[in-house]
Amino acid sequence: MENRVRYRFYEHLITRQAKSEAAMLKEFAQGDYTMENPLIKYNPYFVNNLAAVMLFRTEEEVAVTIRVVGKTKEADISHTFPRAKEHVIPILGLYSNYDNKIEVYPYQQYSKKCVHTITTPKVAGADLVKSMETTPEYLQDNVIFLCPAVNDLAIAVDYAGDVRLNFTVPMVWDIKRLPNGNLMLGSERLLKMPYFVSGIYEMSAVGKIYREYRLPHGYHHDQVCLPNGDIVALGSDFDNGTVEDTCLVIDKETGHVKRTIYFKNFLKPGSQKSGSWSDEDWFHCNAVWYDEASNSLTFSGRHINAMVNIDFDTEKLNWIISDPDRWPEEYQKYMFKIVGDGDFDWQYEQHANLITPLGDVMCFDNHHYGAQDPARYLAPNDSFSRGVKYRIDVDKMEIEQLWQYGKERGKDFFSPYICNVIYWNEGYYLTHSGGIAFDGEGNASAELGPFAQLDDPSVTLESITVETINDEKVLELTVHSNYYRANKFTLYAKEPGQNNLTLGAGQLLGRLGETPQMEIEIPAEDTGELIPARNEVRVSDELDMLTFEAKFEKGQLVMLLLESEKETRRYFISTAKGKRGAMCTGTFLPEDDRDTRTVITKDGLDGDYRISVIIDDKKYDTGVTIKA
Amino acid sequence: MIKELLVKEELPKDLEQGAVILEFYSKTCGPCKMLGFILKDMDKTYGDKIKIITVDFEANPDLVAQYKIEGYPTMIMFKDGQELSRKTGLQPKPVIAKMIEEAI
Repeated sequence: MENRVRYRFYEHLITRQAKSEAAMLKEFAQGDYTMENPLIKYNPYFVNNLAAVMLFRTEEEVAVTIRVVGKTKEADISHTFPRAKEHVIPILGLYSNYDNKIEVYPYQQYSKKCVHTITTPKVAGADLVKSMETTPEYLQDNVIFLCPAVNDLAIAVDYAGDVRLNFTVPMVWDIKRLPNGNLMLGSERLLKMPYFVSGIYEMSAVGKIYREYRLPHGYHHDQVCLPNGDIVALGSDFDNGTVEDTCLVIDKETGHVKRTIYFKNFLKPGSQKSGSWSDEDWFHCNAVWYDEASNSLTFSGRHINAMVNIDFDTEKLNWIISDPDRWPEEYQKYMFKIVGDGDFDWQYEQHANLITPLGDVMCFDNHHYGAQDPARYLAPNDSFSRGVKYRIDVDKMEIEQLWQYGKERGKDFFSPYICNVIYWNEGYYLTHSGGIAFDGEGNASAELGPFAQLDDPSVTLESITVETINDEKVLELTVHSNYYRANKFTLYAKEPGQNNLTLGAGQLLGRLGETPQMEIEIPAEDTGELIPARNEVRVSDELDMLTFEAKFEKGQLVMLLLESEKETRRYFISTAKGKRGAMCTGTFLPEDDRDTRTVITKDGLDGDYRISVIIDDKKYDTGVTIKA
Repeated sequence: MIKELLVKEELPKDLEQGAVILEFYSKTCGPCKMLGFILKDMDKTYGDKIKIITVDFEANPDLVAQYKIEGYPTMIMFKDGQELSRKTGLQPKPVIAKMIEEAI
């Protein structure tokens, strides 16, 4: 019988990187590489195809400066590395489709420079930038980093609008830089549709992953580092059949979950319902912020139109910033009364809340639907999105709007989903409207970008990132795509002691959790046949999980079986139609809605398991056996 | 006890007393078919304490509107006529068991 099932074992990126790095170091050890004749490895970590690693030895221990020569002098990217005799240097900020000149010289001895060329191919993100309005004096060697929301992957853009970093792997959700210089970003390993991924990568801009912090039942949206280094990451209450309504405190060193905070313990599900609300996704937490001054956590609940603050230790509710309309009486005491003479709007379906050093509260107010009362919902063309800052007095429970940017731009800046603000200093902010979509007639799309893109080829997507200082615009980046969040940093981590590349194999920490089974036997005739070719089955096997992809007709009853000598495990495969009210990253969405993707973690599995499938009332074999 | 709703007029009376799961399903929905098996299993455990009434989503648009059903499958847990909780989409057995335990 012909095997119609495609099976492949995928090594974890950490493993592949460790092998590639070992091969690179072996080649380096076997050759006589000098500053004049270095070993150069283009994209050795497979993640950033505008990066390389340069390796050479010097007779004396010297600090070394490298300069990636820009298309203009202001676009140069340079960095000095500590004293050493063996130099393993990440090269960052290459241009796409370009003969990049790299100058390398002993620190402060420019006359001894050697120039090398790294020729790059054209990369996928190279043509995404529509415009960049800023000055080199302002942005210097910083880049604006954009995290994916659709199938365009992460890029970083310099002052001239050139892409200087381009990820080839769909790492998603917010990116943050740790005090040690490393970056934190969601993994590409999809655990559950539509966007719950296996965990968080700690990595360098060159693409090297040091750790994956795996989260039970998946990670989404946001994470924040506590003062002791532990990580607060957003999760889901799968035991309750709900999503995006927990956060986990993760031990920085071991990856173990120290504590889980369940939002239902401080807020009753269904107390408030935004336009995108659903039973399953009743809170839709898209941001978490830790404020050291008040030892509190603030969560952004898109589907309750609220920013909710709780005490970190007791988990007791402190306050809620939300339009008080239609909130139950028991929560009114946590609400604020508007004061001040200026403009004031409540935020609706907001993202990316934060607390400033002065205790003010900022967020990106998507203003999606623009009201608590469905009778007063705003149409996309009549709405706006903005960055906003509120001052709150928690003794008097008063709130005043101090600042906003974006409302005046109306539908042209309207994002019904995703986006963020960043506080750099008083009066100095980044506002990122990354989810703009227009239909073929120029109307703000009522559909979220990932769906709009799939449903209507005439839809155009945009992402606009603006920085303002005292309300004066100093930067505006427009990109032809949707991007989840924006951040700004130098490609090289430049603070003393910060890391840019550490050698050695990365670590897999934490656990993925056991995939819930259906625990129900479906009566089915065993056909003894292989699953039909029309189902286009693919099995992707990994160290800690397997992904089963197949096409099924909508409405079919489908169950995946893992059968070993000791047990049979049953997992339901959903063939339901329908769109979620939220799609903060549509990076993993299939184009064909008959495609299904089911991930089973190997937690709890032991031994060899044969994979078979029940479709309606017939059982088929796949011919695949996996090991756990 | 599981029963298909055939006479709409009987529904208010059915919901009036005790713990009742009202399930909206579609014949063309995979998760609904799966949920059907789970509810049969639940009936074995809790059949003497709850009633399960199934409603064809397509055949009963008036009930869909009345109970504000946005998709199928949807389960609403009633206790003495009052809605206690509802779940949209296929749910694993422990979640449904918890829903029932909270009602009986």
